[in-house]
Amino acid sequence: MFSSVFIPNRGEIAVRIIRTLRELGIESVVGYSTEDRNSLPVMLADRSVCIGPPESVKSYLNVGNIISAALISHCEAIHPGVGFLAESHSFATSVVKNGLIFIGPKPETLKELGNKIMARQIAMELGIPLTPGSEGSVDSLDEAVEVANEIGYPILLKAAAGGGGKGIRVVREERELPKLFSLVKKEAESAFGEGAIFVETFVKNPRHVEVQLLADRHGNIFVFGERDCTIQKNHQKVVEESPAVVLPPDIRIEMERDAKRLFERIGYIGAGTVEFLYSEGNYYFMEVNARIQVEHPVTEVVEGVDLIALQVLAAMGEDLNKYLGGDKGRLRREKGEGLHCIECRINALTPGKITHYVQPGGYGVRVDTHIFCGYEVSPYYDSMLAKLIVYGESRGEAITRMRRALLDLRIDGVKTNIPLLIEIVSSNKFLKNDYSTDFISYIEGGK
Amino acid sequence: MNEETVFRLIEKFENSNLVVLEFKNREFKLRLEKGIANLPASVSGENSVDEIVDKVAEKNKDETEKRDVNYQIITSPIVGTFYRAPAPDAPPFVEEGQKVKKGDTLCIIEAMKLMNQIEAEYDCTIVEILNENGAKVEYGTPLFKVILAE
Repeated sequence: MFSSVFIPNRGEIAVRIIRTLRELGIESVVGYSTEDRNSLPVMLADRSVCIGPPESVKSYLNVGNIISAALISHCEAIHPGVGFLAESHSFATSVVKNGLIFIGPKPETLKELGNKIMARQIAMELGIPLTPGSEGSVDSLDEAVEVANEIGYPILLKAAAGGGGKGIRVVREERELPKLFSLVKKEAESAFGEGAIFVETFVKNPRHVEVQLLADRHGNIFVFGERDCTIQKNHQKVVEESPAVVLPPDIRIEMERDAKRLFERIGYIGAGTVEFLYSEGNYYFMEVNARIQVEHPVTEVVEGVDLIALQVLAAMGEDLNKYLGGDKGRLRREKGEGLHCIECRINALTPGKITHYVQPGGYGVRVDTHIFCGYEVSPYYDSMLAKLIVYGESRGEAITRMRRALLDLRIDGVKTNIPLLIEIVSSNKFLKNDYSTDFISYIEGGK
Repeated sequence: MNEETVFRLIEKFENSNLVVLEFKNREFKLRLEKGIANLPASVSGENSVDEIVDKVAEKNKDETEKRDVNYQIITSPIVGTFYRAPAPDAPPFVEEGQKVKKGDTLCIIEAMKLMNQIEAEYDCTIVEILNENGAKVEYGTPLFKVILAE
């Protein structure tokens, strides 16, 4: 067992990791910026080290300070959390070079999968269905026009190094292409330091379905079901659920099989998610998220596993068959006894001080959060305040419970997306499971 | 006049607004005088009035000086281990009282086996060294208290 793990992250994910480390008997050391001095992770961690000023680039992205802090704190491993340096292959390389263990995939894997064009090529080699698109990057407007005409509009322009909803634009017709081409290129260069972009078909009314996997160092790859993350705003997930009831069972089995083959081919170690688009009976590989994800609790509930604990154990070199003997959650679901789980991301729409906070609870409710009454929501970081996770014996029950929990929830002092979430889970389309990635625009458009 | 009467007189005098009390009879003369108002007991008991006045003046001068002096705290910009000298047996880069110029090395902070030289960003005098040699420091940990040069 590790004796001490360093967490250069913040917010609810840092809290999440600290809690599991505590259960495993591992000391947690959190690296924080001066802005987060009075935050919940700093209060809960066994120890904490200040790694920089509020600006992320000088703190949560400051590789030098982070590794130095882990070393002087005598930590053996670093859990990068989500975002920030979680998928940075140069950070992972630096971690390993300094004799520490990176709780996540190998640096080479991060490099391979971090470039979406490379990831698509690997999928193509394995015969995994891809959305039609450019073979590699499109280096000029002319090339983009050519590919677009070949596959037909509407198309997506995507940054090869993109993520988190950035560096992606829909182009509906040719006259929009020149402007959007240079826009995406600029965005890619400034946000990710790399201007390579590629073209993809814009799939109509797609559902975004992803498969959760976790692999140990002994070649064991476990598939932990799928999540439907279709409901997004500006390409950022807002509502996630599992199982993805929209999938016919045979499609689901094929997707899981393809995801596993991909991980085998890459020699993947750690937790990871393979993202697909599903539309009208067809599925298409999109990309791999080589880290634990924000929406991981949905899978934890349905499959009955602690994914963070499994990450840590895998990083320690444990054979996960010891902990995952048999086929727990899958069997439950196959017997028709599985749980249905829905997660809503509660986001702040303004920074500010939380003057009143009532957290929902009770039967079938889990809340992952870092906020408390009196907490100052900072303008420096992402706006997510909490993850509200509910579950029930059926999708209908989960929806009813989510509506109840959202009405229980109270956050005063900052504007939040709670009203939007209530609208979403109360809508007929959501209940009938008849929605796609433009759902929020559809809801907001009705104003 | 007996002792007890004298004590009662002193007590009454002390609790009154009188500043001077002189009592004289054929056998006995007593003069009681109050010095600066509200002096703590120890001061009035041990020192003369002149000494008391000097002490207060000193204290006021110190505070005035503090207000005029521009103290700065130099904090650590990185995470690592604080070393006062370039090598274990070498003399420290700076000592208390030392004047330094902008660009002079104040200390080393070792991070990931790299020795980072922390330099003065302005001319100043080292007033106090706020951390021990070999101490682990974080971003923002105070290292030196300095006075800016005129």
